[in-house]
Amino acid sequence: MVAVSEAALTGFGIALTAGAYSLSLLARKRYPSPLTTPVLFSTAVVIAVLMATGISFADYQPAKNIMTFLLGPATVALAIPLYKNRQTFFRNLVPAGVGLLAGSLGTMIAAALIARAFKFTPELVSSIAIKSATVPIAVEIAKIVQGNPTLTAVLVVITGMIGASFGPWLMDRLAITDPISRGLALGTISHGQGTAQAATESELSGAIAGVAMGLGAVCTSLAAPWIVPLLA
Amino acid sequence: MSQAAEAQVRPATPWFVRELPLGALQLFGLWALNSAGVWVVQKVALPLPGNLVGMVLLYALLALGIVKLSWFETAGSLLVRHLAFFFVPITVGLMDAGSLFAAHGVGIILTLAASAAIGIMLAGRVSQLLLRKS
Repeated sequence: MVAVSEAALTGFGIALTAGAYSLSLLARKRYPSPLTTPVLFSTAVVIAVLMATGISFADYQPAKNIMTFLLGPATVALAIPLYKNRQTFFRNLVPAGVGLLAGSLGTMIAAALIARAFKFTPELVSSIAIKSATVPIAVEIAKIVQGNPTLTAVLVVITGMIGASFGPWLMDRLAITDPISRGLALGTISHGQGTAQAATESELSGAIAGVAMGLGAVCTSLAAPWIVPLLA
Repeated sequence: MSQAAEAQVRPATPWFVRELPLGALQLFGLWALNSAGVWVVQKVALPLPGNLVGMVLLYALLALGIVKLSWFETAGSLLVRHLAFFFVPITVGLMDAGSLFAAHGVGIILTLAASAAIGIMLAGRVSQLLLRKS
């Protein structure tokens, strides 16, 4: 490969990522499907272009560091939807709270046990256990429970896709029909992608899912440092 | 000349002249809250992500009426709407995880699907049962 300055490479990495993301928004509008989810679609485009041009992930790293700088402030901003939907949540606090605890602890323990049955490494088991928390929080929990942040981000995104695409189908089979319960389950298990899916079912489901995504992440980060070391 | 006609001659300030400095200021506020969260976590040695503490901090400030929703809304809702963008550079790291997925891909997907199904069933069924009782 011809020698290229690091600044040029960084600029290219940022432009490529922003371009791929914009393209994904267009693709989702025209062909809505689990495959055109912004994260999945943009990631696939960026990786394809990097591989085609012979740029390694290490070369992309400086661009990544610049872009993820805003992830912290963006996570803080999640308090806004949480605050806006607080009344709906507090009105149904006990049923929703118990359901949220059952769901987020249940999926964490189930994931760790199944991962162990596959004889995965402790690092992979830890990363899998916390996959239902939203990405910016999950990558931070990963560092605390000795998981791998990059791998965790990938597992979280895959979980989001699985839950958002098959969750509604599964809940139909299980006779889970209450819009509060449906939103709660989608937000707790599939964070942002689940919340987006719940919002297409009803405004109430979407609002509850948004709160569940935030509180599910809180619940996971409080419980994971205690539970994950026992199971990994 | 009527007022409406005058307004047409002199267009209102373009949106970005008003919104950009405001958005930048709000972004700075969100960044400051995030930094405060990171600082608290280090200081108290909490096993919690700093950005999560920042989020709880903002919620508390809103609930206590110390800050107003409108102070953060421009930058905040933009960031939340495009939250997915910030994950992309992280998941691009998958390109180095190819060998892991080649070795364990099926097991990983099965684990994720089964545990997601269990979680959805628990959250949905338990909350619905309690909602119907109350």
